[in-house]
Amino acid sequence: MAKHKTPLLDQLESGPWPSFVSDIKQEAAARAKNVKGLDYQIPADVCEDLLGILELSYKDGTTHWKHGGIVGVFGYGGGIIGRYCDKPLDFPGVAAFHTVRVAQPGGKYYTSAYLRQLMDIWDLRGSGLTNMHGSTGDIILLGTTTPQLEEIFYQLTHEMNQDLGGSGSNLRTPADCIGSSRCEYSCIDTQELCYYLTMRYQDELHRPAFPYKFKFKFDGCPNGCVCSIARSDLSFIGTWKDAIQINQAEVKAYVDGQSPAGGGSHSSRDWGKFDIQKEVIDLCPTKCMAYVNGELKIYDKECTRCMHCINVMPKALKPGKEKGVSILCGAKAPIVDGAQMGTLIRPFIAVDQTMDKQLSDFDSEDEWVEYLDEKYADITEFVELVWDYWMEEGKNRERLGELMIREGLQKFLEKTETDPMAVHVQHPRTNPYIFWKEDEVDGGWERDIEEYRKAHAR
Amino acid sequence: MALDKAEAQKVIVDQLEKKGKSKSKFYLKDFYAFFPDEKPRTVKNIVNELVGDGILEYWSSGSTTMIGLKGAGKQAGAEGED
Amino acid sequence: MAFISAGYNPDKPMENRITDIGPRHYDEFYPEVIKKNKGKWSHHEILEPGVLVHVAESGDKIFTVRCGGARLMTVTHIREICDIADKYCNGHVRFTTRNNIEFLVDTLDKVNALKADLAQRKFDGGSMKFPVGGTGSGISNIVHTQGWIHCHTPATDASGTVKATMDAVFEDFQSMKMPAKLRISMACCLNMCGAVHCSDIAILGYHRKPPILDHEYLDKVCEIPLAVASCPTAAIRPSKVELPNGTTVNSVAVKNERCMYCGNCYTMCPSMPLSDKEGDGIVLMAGGKVSNRISAPKFSKVVVAFLPNETPRWPTMTETIKKMINAYSNGANKYERLGDWADRIGWERFFEVCELDFTHHLIDDFRDAAYHTWRQSTLFKF
Repeated sequence: MAKHKTPLLDQLESGPWPSFVSDIKQEAAARAKNVKGLDYQIPADVCEDLLGILELSYKDGTTHWKHGGIVGVFGYGGGIIGRYCDKPLDFPGVAAFHTVRVAQPGGKYYTSAYLRQLMDIWDLRGSGLTNMHGSTGDIILLGTTTPQLEEIFYQLTHEMNQDLGGSGSNLRTPADCIGSSRCEYSCIDTQELCYYLTMRYQDELHRPAFPYKFKFKFDGCPNGCVCSIARSDLSFIGTWKDAIQINQAEVKAYVDGQSPAGGGSHSSRDWGKFDIQKEVIDLCPTKCMAYVNGELKIYDKECTRCMHCINVMPKALKPGKEKGVSILCGAKAPIVDGAQMGTLIRPFIAVDQTMDKQLSDFDSEDEWVEYLDEKYADITEFVELVWDYWMEEGKNRERLGELMIREGLQKFLEKTETDPMAVHVQHPRTNPYIFWKEDEVDGGWERDIEEYRKAHAR
Repeated sequence: MALDKAEAQKVIVDQLEKKGKSKSKFYLKDFYAFFPDEKPRTVKNIVNELVGDGILEYWSSGSTTMIGLKGAGKQAGAEGED
Repeated sequence: MAFISAGYNPDKPMENRITDIGPRHYDEFYPEVIKKNKGKWSHHEILEPGVLVHVAESGDKIFTVRCGGARLMTVTHIREICDIADKYCNGHVRFTTRNNIEFLVDTLDKVNALKADLAQRKFDGGSMKFPVGGTGSGISNIVHTQGWIHCHTPATDASGTVKATMDAVFEDFQSMKMPAKLRISMACCLNMCGAVHCSDIAILGYHRKPPILDHEYLDKVCEIPLAVASCPTAAIRPSKVELPNGTTVNSVAVKNERCMYCGNCYTMCPSMPLSDKEGDGIVLMAGGKVSNRISAPKFSKVVVAFLPNETPRWPTMTETIKKMINAYSNGANKYERLGDWADRIGWERFFEVCELDFTHHLIDDFRDAAYHTWRQSTLFKF
């Protein structure tokens, strides 16, 4: 018998999509039964009370949570979000319901052994509810009490060699796409770069260092599966500089209908026979391709690497061999001045393709990190230039993108030691209000009025 | 010249106590203003060390972090966390 | 309940403390075939909706079965995922950036056995635990925020709106008949913890009333300077207020017409609650994307200014979303994303074919950027 009646939420149990209501009820039942005989460290009926308070929100159309800010683990400024309910007498099980952010592994690959160990901690010390995963990328453990926070942190670090993620004015937990671990499009090892920078900047991740939040995300190619260009202050997108690799025989196999276009991405609908002219050549945004006499030609100099032809014919076309990253800066959600997309700052930082050693090739993680220090030196130098500027000039709660707008792209390029190039703009300015610097103008601004008057009467 | 931690602690505690009549939580930037000649990074490291020493504490809105003297302010009582 | 110590000593928090160790290294979690072929994948194919095969240069293959998941998951459910991973995948499993679960197996036989197993796993309420799909030109899982389950400033629920929407578009999760991929995202207030501003379709919770002021308690539980400073539009100022009993207290005043309903003040001050049954509801946005494929990434545009919170299943919202998806599916060319289609036919035509009303709320009036969204040409459609 459920503790609270939930007639509205019960209506979310039907339909095919996995029902979070059914899942929470399943957890409530498991806790009530307690077959393992656990001494639950927070109220056993926490899931019942959560359903009860959620039902109340469904009835009265308002939230029943209040923010709390002091709770955390000692010495860390992030990783824990305090939360209290505003009806603690009716729903004592969720009176305090804090969140723990756990740093997710690269590519979100897991072993069951790891997940089971984490679930055992959370079963004992928390609500048994999680998010797999939060928006930034962390594993979210949803709902525990203050005395459990240090205990959970102790168990995570001592028993699982596992740290918390970021929150507040910290570096947020960096996140990556699946990258070259299972994707042929990826131009970089997103997991390696993400992990390396995460470890290098642990202090910035756990202790506030900045005017506001700061996010890194890593996309292996311009398809952008982890949405870095829209969601991260520093967006790293894998790309290439040389020619797309073409296998003409495989191109022909697509043309002849032997290979499914898009790897079968449109197979549930009859779009007719694959037509390379219509589906690839004509859709190329720069019109830099042609299919002539059974041969695909790409004028690579004009290619902007949009990925469309590669996406449609993955067996026949591969990104080039000279690979690296484009770095875009300043993306953010709308608050306050409107949403911003990342602005291209470093078009190409090469990543040495011969430096392909993995952790397992080294005696220790330290030696591997030294190797990566060299491999990614140009990237870390850039990151630190950006941070120096933002820490000096950013106002309280001003995201990097807002600082860039306030002080201008020229200033940002100057501070990050980036030479201005035509690729930095969609088009040049449409007003001529150029603020010249004095040293750019021959002779400077100091002039002699008497000299002028010799040629111009008063 | 390196910033002396004991001296810095005194400046910070004095300043926060002085301002503490009206508010108890401050942005990291506010601490930079106490030490106009120092690099933000230097001040940040000292502030974070003082949290580790139990002199200061963090307050997090989830999106922003603020810093104040440990135990100061009204919210701890309201949350039953004092 | 007896408190069980993990070993932490509250009197000496720094004793044996381990910090700054970061996440576990990904190498520990890679399946063998991933470890062996990383960086050497040749190509992939989507064998059927939800089932992929990746082929390495070495000839090795890995099959992926992708399942939808509510991102709100319990310990019990995750243990069931582990059981499946142990039975079919040597204990390996991964999650996608869109809250899908991926089981990786090494043979097609295992794919078929796994699929049959997943199909019969259902919750007691009847919904599927592991629906297979979410690939190619279909509708993948919705990324979303917390909503009423855990957040202090939501204008709607997240899990409920997502469940209702995914039920409504479920057929397209399990098929690939859209002109291109279609990504739906959900954020429960305009702070957008889940950045939804570049999605084909975005569901956004929105408040329409400034905070209520609990003058009697405000100065007792809040620090007024912090409440004032929290406002991004400087709409809050300190003020003295006379209570009905004649006493004067320190409090704040809000310039209502400046309020953008972000809830930052409620974060700092529990005496300024924001949520309201009539005021709160849903904004729908459309036409955004993050991929650079064919066209540049673009922002979503507001296409429905407000829909009320119709709990528990938000029928007007799901019907409106379905109308947009149907119009797009019928009208767009192969490979054309929703925003590219709308740009091609013109937004005036978009409102017509989606049967949406255009109201003054949809004209941008926020600061300088608004001008660039007005039409400065005679190129329009009747």
